[in-house]
Amino acid sequence: MKPPGAGGWPADDPLDETDLQILADIHDLFQAADPMPADLPERIRFSLALRDLEVEVARLAAEEDRQMLAVRGPEQTRTITFDSDSLTIMIRIDQNRDGTVRVDGWLAPPQPREIELKTTSGALDTASDEQGRFAFASVPQGTAQLVVRPAEGAGGSGRSVVTPALIL
Amino acid sequence: MEDRRPTTVAARRRGQPARPDRGARIASLMNAARDGSEDALGQIVAELSPLLWQVARAAGLTSGDAEDVVQTVWLSLLSHLHKIRSPESLTAWLVITTKREAWRVRAAGRRQLPADLDWFDATPDPAPGSEDQVIIDDQRRALWTAIGRLDPRCQELLRIVAFVPRPDYAAVAARLGMRPGSVGPTRGRCLAKLRAELARGDEGSPA
Repeated sequence: MKPPGAGGWPADDPLDETDLQILADIHDLFQAADPMPADLPERIRFSLALRDLEVEVARLAAEEDRQMLAVRGPEQTRTITFDSDSLTIMIRIDQNRDGTVRVDGWLAPPQPREIELKTTSGALDTASDEQGRFAFASVPQGTAQLVVRPAEGAGGSGRSVVTPALIL
Repeated sequence: MEDRRPTTVAARRRGQPARPDRGARIASLMNAARDGSEDALGQIVAELSPLLWQVARAAGLTSGDAEDVVQTVWLSLLSHLHKIRSPESLTAWLVITTKREAWRVRAAGRRQLPADLDWFDATPDPAPGSEDQVIIDDQRRALWTAIGRLDPRCQELLRIVAFVPRPDYAAVAARLGMRPGSVGPTRGRCLAKLRAELARGDEGSPA
């Protein structure tokens, strides 16, 4: 089927120079109208800086922001759920008064694991207990990423589970 | 062949995606990344993330979801990097995985957009400027209008292909279900329709 117009432009023809220029124009159009956020590659590079190469990716499954009316005014609490093939990670983020945040987490199914919270100013380490609970009492605000590794002494089996980088 | 489209920013870009050494450069970056070089992987990320952003946005994701999806795709690549052998199959894998992740997010119904993709409602604002700028703006608006008349599948496809490095067209087209030509990439149904729409627009307005 040929499109209307003198001669037409058969779909089976090889791309010609005008086609390539139109594609370049479309590129520029969307680059101008809807560009990738400039800081996204940096966030991605941060999240890819892992010593584990075989990782299981935990996807963002749900996020909820809630204004909590506290004694001293509104406080922001965020709960975020990540799902991977083997694990669900739930975290709750509360503002501390000193500008840092507190992160409380739960693993399901519950199990002891080594937990690392990567931040732009270094890594924080803790471990989850038998109920799958873990906590970081004071975390600087900014970009952070959770890495859940097999528990020490667990035979080193199992892959590390990583979340995307998020902004605390 | 007659080409009435005046020189635009596009003309300056022409040739850039076809730089013959690109394939070799990306291939060696892939090797270094496989050996654990974060810097090499970072360069690949910088080069191909704008494409993945457009794939995610063209699938109807919000900005926030698109950022998460693009990041998730790169994380998923870590455990696939050793299986991907060539730059064109890397691009194709990234594009198709981004589409799949975007579907997954949309199917989950999380922060979903209305069915009509909102990115098309906002015509880019013409910035006041020189006469050259006015010509470019007129062209852009004509192109925008013509794309808007295509079916959603073609809109999405052209938006993606426009960001694919030229040597990778054929591999990506094949993975997106387009019929690859016997010698290199063909124009395809969507670009053929777009050219007909552009010709129609030209007839309707004084040149």
